[in-house]
Amino acid sequence: MHPALAPLGERFVAYLSDRWQEPLTLTGIEQIPGGASRETYRVRVDGPGGSRGLILRRDPVSSLIDTERALEYRTYQAVHGTAIPVPEPLILEEDPSHLDRPFSVMREIAGCESAVAALAQPPFDGLRERIGERKWSLLGQLAAMDPGQLGVTGFMDVPDHPARRELDYWAGVIDADALHPQPVAQAAIRWLRRHLPAPSARRCLVHGDYRSGNFLFDAEGEIRGVLDWEMAHVGDPLEDLAWSLDPLWGWPERTLAGGLLPRERAIAIWQRASGIEVDREAFRWWQVFASLKGLAIWISSTEDFVNGQSKEPILAVAGWVMTDRQNRILLDRLDPASTHDYAEPLL
Amino acid sequence: MIPQPSRALADLAGKLVNDIAPETSSTYAAANTGMIAMLLGALAQDAERAVASRMDDIDEMQRLFTTLGRDCDPDNAEARTRYVGRQPASLRLGDVDALHQDGMALLIAVHAWAEDHDPDLDRSIWRLLHRHTERNRLDLG
Repeated sequence: MHPALAPLGERFVAYLSDRWQEPLTLTGIEQIPGGASRETYRVRVDGPGGSRGLILRRDPVSSLIDTERALEYRTYQAVHGTAIPVPEPLILEEDPSHLDRPFSVMREIAGCESAVAALAQPPFDGLRERIGERKWSLLGQLAAMDPGQLGVTGFMDVPDHPARRELDYWAGVIDADALHPQPVAQAAIRWLRRHLPAPSARRCLVHGDYRSGNFLFDAEGEIRGVLDWEMAHVGDPLEDLAWSLDPLWGWPERTLAGGLLPRERAIAIWQRASGIEVDREAFRWWQVFASLKGLAIWISSTEDFVNGQSKEPILAVAGWVMTDRQNRILLDRLDPASTHDYAEPLL
Repeated sequence: MIPQPSRALADLAGKLVNDIAPETSSTYAAANTGMIAMLLGALAQDAERAVASRMDDIDEMQRLFTTLGRDCDPDNAEARTRYVGRQPASLRLGDVDALHQDGMALLIAVHAWAEDHDPDLDRSIWRLLHRHTERNRLDLG
């Protein structure tokens, strides 16, 4: 346990002991890297019921994605217990007095890996196809669920026109946060406005950031937890599928979506699990939109790093490295003379 | 004075990755050390070429604007004419960047116009954006 984290750990355990009315002791706390939207800690506590692993997610001083913690927490509550595995949500504490900022607590899913790069080494080598199969199968199952039955429509809007709503939102983020003119992003926004698809008949719970790195898998090739639901919303089922296939998530590999499977195979798995036939024309729109949304997030993180209070390196990496890559992908997708150096042609 | 700041930054990035990161005791510290090394690598590339790549963009935009008539995106025709005659106040990055941003704003406007009125110009601007993006490409391994 790093000494600098011990005071936070002790305050957290004092809070838990009071909340759960049982004497608990702190046995470990470590910060998990890459928590761009929340500070994330792995905490281990001992008590009368034995040793427990918990995940503490505390609001940051500054965030890559401006999100509502309550919406994310309630989404975890809605999805927990369904076919989509998620960490069990335990506590949402919005009073900042306990740990300086609001936070939530989940039960830890132990013994898993989230980095696709781990699939190159034991004990995960040989699992690439299996993980890919599970990844898009679960996403298809999510798309097949009725958001009303899940209960998320109680706290999420159901848009009349999901594509228009998402485009308006992320174009607004770019307008608000861009620190300099963005010619590729603006060209993409115009293209998306000109080619806006008709509203789809289906609505589903959209994860909003379903990609490599946001799910936990084990050495048996099973996905044990889908994480990071802070951008969840009700929308078009094709949105998550297109986002999951964006070339950025397998960079610099272009042919394997998310570094796992060929794109057409991923789509076939998703179609089988969701029962939805992909409308290819609408899907072209969602693929371009996915790259624009990524660019909007990176532009926003640049602004956050420059003007915000947090100087987390991940904000700068997102703002700098990811903006460069996403610009190249988007340009590759829209330039009429593209040689597709960074992104395969739209499907 | 460090005569080759980009080289120094790249060397520091290597030091962080090869010598310091393995000595860190937490995954959080190791991950952040790796990210900072990556950023130093990006800085090393950008520091070397930032002024030159922006000046190349400015030159390309000025040459493009020179070829456009007043009926092309007429609302900005006068601003484009003024832009063609401008030079940065100095070769400091801030001054070059200011002129670059003014040009990019005009380029966005003329690109939007070209999409509706002039397919050849639209394609030319996409090629310009391609060269602009490649000039600023980060090669980080």
